[in-house]
Order: sequence, then C-alpha cells, then structure tokens
Amino acid sequence: MTKYLLLSAALFVIGAYGVLGRRNLLIVLMSIELMLNGVNVALVAFSRAHQNLEGQVFVLTVIGVAAAEAGVGLALLIALFRNRRTVDSGDLTMLKG
Amino acid sequence: MIHRLKGIGQDVLSDPVFAACAAVAIGAALLMVTRRNPVYAALWLMQCFLAVAVVFLKLHAPFLAAIHVLVYTGAILVLFLFVIMLLSLQPHELGAEHSRAARALGALVCAGFLAVLGAAALHGTRGAAPLEPLRDVAVESGSKTLVITAEQWGGVEHVGAELFSRFVVPFEVVSILILVAILGAVVLAKRKL
Repeated sequence: MTKYLLLSAALFVIGAYGVLGRRNLLIVLMSIELMLNGVNVALVAFSRAHQNLEGQVFVLTVIGVAAAEAGVGLALLIALFRNRRTVDSGDLTMLKG
Repeated sequence: MIHRLKGIGQDVLSDPVFAACAAVAIGAALLMVTRRNPVYAALWLMQCFLAVAVVFLKLHAPFLAAIHVLVYTGAILVLFLFVIMLLSLQPHELGAEHSRAARALGALVCAGFLAVLGAAALHGTRGAAPLEPLRDVAVESGSKTLVITAEQWGGVEHVGAELFSRFVVPFEVVSILILVAILGAVVLAKRKL
C-alpha cells in the first residue's frame, strides 16, 4: 500500500515542480495533468485497500474534469498566442499597473 | 523510519512489475518537466501515463486502466500535440525559462513537500503488509442485486452498476461540466479576443 502512495506522492511533486519551475505554458498544463494523475494513483490505491469502489468512481470524475481542463486551458493558450505571440508565462504582465 | 523505508524497498523489489512501472513513470515524468521542446515533453508524458495505467491494472482497476489509456493518451495528449503543431512554435518563441537559482529554489520546495508527503505515507499506513484479498460484494443495481466476485472487481460490470445507481448524480454533473467546457473551448479558440 505504502509503495503506491509513495509513487503517487512522487508524481504529484514532479508535477508541482513543473508548475513552479517552468514558464512555458504548454509544459505547465502538462504538469497539471501529471499532478491529477498522481492523485488518481492514490485514490485507486485507497479504493483497493478499503475494498470500496467509491475511489474508482471518483477517479472517473477526475478524468472527466482533467479532459475539460485540458480543453479549456489549450483554448486559452491558442487565444493568448494569437494575440500576444508568446507561450511564456513571464510575458503575461497585462494586469500589472 | 529507516527500517520502515527498508521494508518498503524490499516490498518494491519483490514486485518486479510495480518496480518497473514506478521507475518508468517517475523517470518519464522527470524527463517531461525538464524538456525544452513541448513535443518531447508530451511524448514523455504519454510514456508516464502508460506506466500508470499498468499500476491501475495491478490495483484491480481494469476498467479504469482502459479508460485512462483511452482518455489520457488517446484524447488529452493528442489534443496537446495537435495544439503544439497548430502553434508551430519557432525556437525563439519558446520563451525564456526561470534563472538557475529560481529553478533550484522550486526544486528545493518540491523536495520538502515530497519529504512531508512521504513521511505521512510511511506513518499513516501499514507499510509493506500485503493488501487483503478481495471479498465478494453485493451491488444493488435498480431492482436486482449483482454479486461481484474477486475476478470481476473493478471491471465494467462492477463500475457500471455503481456508476448508474449510487453515483448517477456526479456522473450527470460531469457530463454538464464537459458540455460547458466544449462550448467554452469553442468560443475561446474561435473568436478574435
């Protein structure tokens, strides 16, 4: 059981590094998918350990949310690239006074 | 703490399928966050997702493993690759990255977070003890009761019976969410903002 949780923690933390340490928005979106994936591993592991299917149904919901998030995120990225010709989060300073 | 960690290490090594999948998943994830070219990052992410799908199979979730491969590698990553090719970024359009010091600080924060999560996982669970064998369960589905044996656990019949009886409201809410996301994506990507 613990080994699955450690794998889940490792995937989540690597995704968190991608969000914190990278400025390319495509990579940041992929890192968010990786973090959701790490959480899914923990949910399935707990579902198996407690012999309760709720964890697996919750993972199905998370997969649906991840698909919606990727679709909207990539549409935002396309709109951004059309207007600003950049995918660098450091260049997005329009809200700065 | 140390002897618990040693026990986990022996547990991982005694399970070569898990060891291989975990190594591939973590290695591919590390390569994904460090690639400069987003196409390579997407392909490494695909490798990582396939390894995670095998871990799902080991955890008695065959239906989820199939859905994971279909949705993540089949739909989400293809969407990523499609957008990368639509943008067709030139090398100078990839943007600057954070300075080496900022990235090191980010890695340090993440390492601390991993230590906290790892300590919680080591103390909160029974460690290397094997999981209990699956028991037969009875699932109420509409007017009849299904008996799910250990071999059927997590299969299409089991997940379907639960999803369309006890969890039908969350299922419908997700379908509305996806519908709204489709409309939002079309509006955002189509109009000149």
